[in-house]
Amino acid sequence: MNVLKIKELSVRYGSVEALSEVDLEVQPAMVYGIIGPDGAGKTTLMRSICTLLPYQEGSIEVLGYDAASQAKEIRARIGYMPQRFSLYQDLSVQQNLRFFARLFKVNHAEMLKRREQLYKFSRLEPFAKRLTGNLSGGMKQKLALSCALIHTPELIILDEPTFGVDPVSRVEFWQILHQLKADGISIVVSTPYMDEASQCDKIVLLHKGRVIGQGSPAETISGWKGKLYSLTSRDLQKLYAFLQTKAGKDNLQLFGSEIHLFSEQELSSDKIADWQSEFPELESCVEIKPGMEDVFLRMMQ
Amino acid sequence: MSSAGVITSFIKKEFRQIMRSREMLIVLFALPAVQLLVMGFAVTNEVKNLRLGILDYDRSASSRDLISSFSSGDRFQVVPVSESDNAAELISAWKAQLVLVIPPDFGADYQMGRQSSLQLVLDGIDGNSAAVANSYAAGVIADFYQRQSKTRLHRAPLPRLSPGVQLISQMSFNPDLKSSLNTIPGIIAILVTVTSMMLSAISLVKEKELGTLEQLMVTPVKRYQLMAGKLIPYLIITLVQLQVAILLAGLIFGLELAGSYFTLILFSVVYLFTSLGLGILISSRVNSQQQAMFFSWFIMVVMILLSGFFVPIRNMPQSIQWISFINPLSHYMTVLREIVVKGSSLAQLSRELWILSASGLLVFGFSVLSFRKRV
Repeated sequence: MNVLKIKELSVRYGSVEALSEVDLEVQPAMVYGIIGPDGAGKTTLMRSICTLLPYQEGSIEVLGYDAASQAKEIRARIGYMPQRFSLYQDLSVQQNLRFFARLFKVNHAEMLKRREQLYKFSRLEPFAKRLTGNLSGGMKQKLALSCALIHTPELIILDEPTFGVDPVSRVEFWQILHQLKADGISIVVSTPYMDEASQCDKIVLLHKGRVIGQGSPAETISGWKGKLYSLTSRDLQKLYAFLQTKAGKDNLQLFGSEIHLFSEQELSSDKIADWQSEFPELESCVEIKPGMEDVFLRMMQ
Repeated sequence: MSSAGVITSFIKKEFRQIMRSREMLIVLFALPAVQLLVMGFAVTNEVKNLRLGILDYDRSASSRDLISSFSSGDRFQVVPVSESDNAAELISAWKAQLVLVIPPDFGADYQMGRQSSLQLVLDGIDGNSAAVANSYAAGVIADFYQRQSKTRLHRAPLPRLSPGVQLISQMSFNPDLKSSLNTIPGIIAILVTVTSMMLSAISLVKEKELGTLEQLMVTPVKRYQLMAGKLIPYLIITLVQLQVAILLAGLIFGLELAGSYFTLILFSVVYLFTSLGLGILISSRVNSQQQAMFFSWFIMVVMILLSGFFVPIRNMPQSIQWISFINPLSHYMTVLREIVVKGSSLAQLSRELWILSASGLLVFGFSVLSFRKRV
C-alpha cells in the first residue's frame, strides 16, 4: 500500500495556480524528495498533504485517509516540520518535546521512552534544559524533527529541513533521515539542494507548479539524452559570449569555474580544435557525466 | 490522554511563556497603578481653582463681604484685576474663567432692601465646566444673601430673595459628590477590557507570526482545546490584575467595596468572555501583531467613548444610545459602579447579568466557530 497517493492535484490562490495536475505516489519506508527552485510549489504541496490547505481539484490520500474529509485521522498519524522554525523559542528543549507529546496525546511513560530514543540520535540530551531560542541552527532543526517524531508517526513531511543549516549539520541531518527510513518511517522531504536530491530514493522535479520529472535519482540522470561537456577558461565571461554564438544560450549553463555545454551529438575533435583556434583562451573541453543539477536545469527548459 | 490534559498542558505552556517576559509584570502591576493614579485624579467633573475676576464698582462693606465669601474655599481663586479692565477682555486674555461684576449701587440697594443685580460673565468654551462654575457661583451668592438676612433680621426689612420653599437635597451613596467614586469603577472596567482584549488579540497572531501556529495546526488538538488553553491564562491574569486594581484603589482613594466580592468576580468573568472573545476574533482574522493592535485599539476606543465613562449615555442622541446599549463595556461599567459604590445585590443586577451573558455567549461562540485550523 502506498503511504501517499496524490492524483491530479491542483491548488489555486485566487487566480494564481500554485500547483496544477500533480501526481505523486510514495511507497512505505522511502525517502521521497520534492525538488524545485523557490516558488515551484513545494510548500504548497506539503501543506496540502498535511491538510493545512484546501485544494480545488484532484485527490490526496494519506495513509489511506482522504485529506479533504479525514484531516483529524491524518494529523494524528503524520509528523510535519514546516519550513520556518516553528517551535517555542522561549521554552526549553525538554518543554517543547513534552508539550508536543501532550498535544499528540502520547502518555507520559511512552513519552519518556520515545524521548530517550530521540535524544540518542539527535544528541540533544545535554541541552535538554536550554532555551530553544539559544540553540544553533542545526540543533534547532534536530529538535524540530524530534518534535515531529514524538508521536511515532508513520509518515513525516519535512519542508526544506536543512535550509540555512551548516554543511556538517546537513550531513548529520541526512544520516538521521536514513536511520529513520531504516526504522520503517516514510519521509517526504523538499529541498532546493541538488546534492540532497541524490540521497533520496525517489524524486519529483517540480517547476512552476508542475511535475517535470519523476523517478529515482539514477533513473532521472540516466534518462538524460545527449552529451555534456565542461569547458574552462581564464575568462569565463568571454568564453560564455563566444559559446553563445556557437551553440546557443539555451544549451549553456555557468557552473562556478566552468561552463556546461549541452549537445545532442558528440562534439568532434575537429570542432573543438576549431573553437580553440578561434578562441585561444579556451583551456579545456571534456565530456562529463551529467549531475542532478544539469538534469534539472535541462528539464526546466 | 484526556482532553483536560491537553488543555492543562496548554495553560502551563502559556504561563511559562508569559511569566518569562518582564512585560507581563508591568501589565499586571504597573498598568493598574498608572491608570488609577493618572486617570483617577485627572478624570473628574469636579471643578476646582476657577480663576475668578471681580470688578467691584461698589466698594461697600456688602461688596467686600461678598468677595470674601468667594475667596474662601478652593473652588475659586480670585485673580487681581485693575479698575480699567472689562469682563470680556479678562476672559479673552485668559486671565479669568469667570468675572463677577458688582454694580455701583449694590451695597446701598441691598441695605434698602431694593432689588439689586449682579453680573456673572463666564467663559463658555467648555460648556460643562462653565455650567458647573455658574452653579457654584450662584450657590455662593445665595449663601451670602442667606447669611446676611439672618444677621440683620432685626434691623432692616428682609430683601425678597429667599423663596418660600427651601429645597434640601440629599446625595445618596456619595454624599460628598466625590468624583473618584464614579470614575474609579470606570477605570477598573476599562483596565479589564484593555488588558484582556490586548492579550487575546495578540495571542494567536503572535504564534502565526512566529510560525508556531502552523505546527500547532497539524497536531490533533481540537479548536476548543486550543482556545481554552489560550484564554484561561488570560482570564486568570486579568482577574489578578482586577484584584491589584481594587487593592490600589483602596490604598490610594480609600475606595471600599460596598457590595459582594463574589458578585464582582462573577460579573467580571462573564464580561471577560466578551472581551477575550473579541480579542481572539481579531487575532484569528489578522496577519500581524500590528494589525491586531490597530483593530483592538479601534474597537476599544469606540467601546470606551460609548461607555458613559466620559459623557453620560443619557446625554447622547437616541441612536447612539442604542449603540451604547449593545456596548458590553457600558453594562460592565454600570455593574461595577453599582457593586462598588451602592453595594447592589446579584438579584438587583439580574438584567445586566442576562445582557452580559448573552453578549459573552454570542461573541465568544462566534469567535470559536469562525476560527479555522488552516493556514
